[in-house]
Amino acid sequence: MKPILRLYPSAWRRRYGEELSDLIDAMPSTPATTLDLLRGAAALHMRGLVDRIAPRLVSAGGPPMPTHSLQRHPTATALVAALIAAPTAIFVTVSFLAYQLELPGMQAWLQPFMDGLQQAPRIVDLLLVGAPFLAFLIAALPLIGLRLERIDGELRVTLGLRARTLNVIVLGVCLVVGGFLVNYFLAEFLVR
Amino acid sequence: MLLDVANFAGVRLGPGTLYGALSRLEEDGLVEALPLEGRRRPYRLTDAGLAALRGRLTGLNAAVSIGLARVANR
Repeated sequence: MKPILRLYPSAWRRRYGEELSDLIDAMPSTPATTLDLLRGAAALHMRGLVDRIAPRLVSAGGPPMPTHSLQRHPTATALVAALIAAPTAIFVTVSFLAYQLELPGMQAWLQPFMDGLQQAPRIVDLLLVGAPFLAFLIAALPLIGLRLERIDGELRVTLGLRARTLNVIVLGVCLVVGGFLVNYFLAEFLVR
Repeated sequence: MLLDVANFAGVRLGPGTLYGALSRLEEDGLVEALPLEGRRRPYRLTDAGLAALRGRLTGLNAAVSIGLARVANR
């Protein structure tokens, strides 16, 4: 059951993790205990979210409200975005090697996959095309610091940008892959 | 603590529930942690915690008294 402790908020884990771990050691491992620990982790995350956001939504002043908590996890967010974009990026790269650079043997190797793709439901196409754009948004979110604050009764919106190497790399890959796809579809459209 | 709650209240708390409640109580200043005793970390009520508990028990006591009186009259 101890791996479940990793699901608890890190600050909370630093304070109570060892005590809870000792308690778990002293208890029999049952499905009910496992569920209780999972529920506890979810409740603490919800509590943290509500504690951070709710009072600021209803207050007329106070500290600025960050619009999302992804800024705290830019690396994890970049990795998620990379995972989402990866199938399309691989597909585009291999297609480029096969049909643009015409590397020997690549087209024959890729053909069965292309045939399968043509017979696949349209949603597969849409997912492949939409993935880099979705990944772009996800990787970009932690770099955008949009803050809402109320000063002297006026709502003030501040936009800030920051650079994180991994996120910027993923953004670049998404732009290249997305650009390639847009170019491809524009060419197809114009040819027709 | 789990055994104590189970004995006097008849409720078996899970470890996640117990520590979720404990952290909230500490955050609200109603309990405080004491120095470690071996691997055990004792907690005790603060003055605010004691006042809150007294208020809650008094309220429950009033509800129980009224409830019992009404049941007795039926």
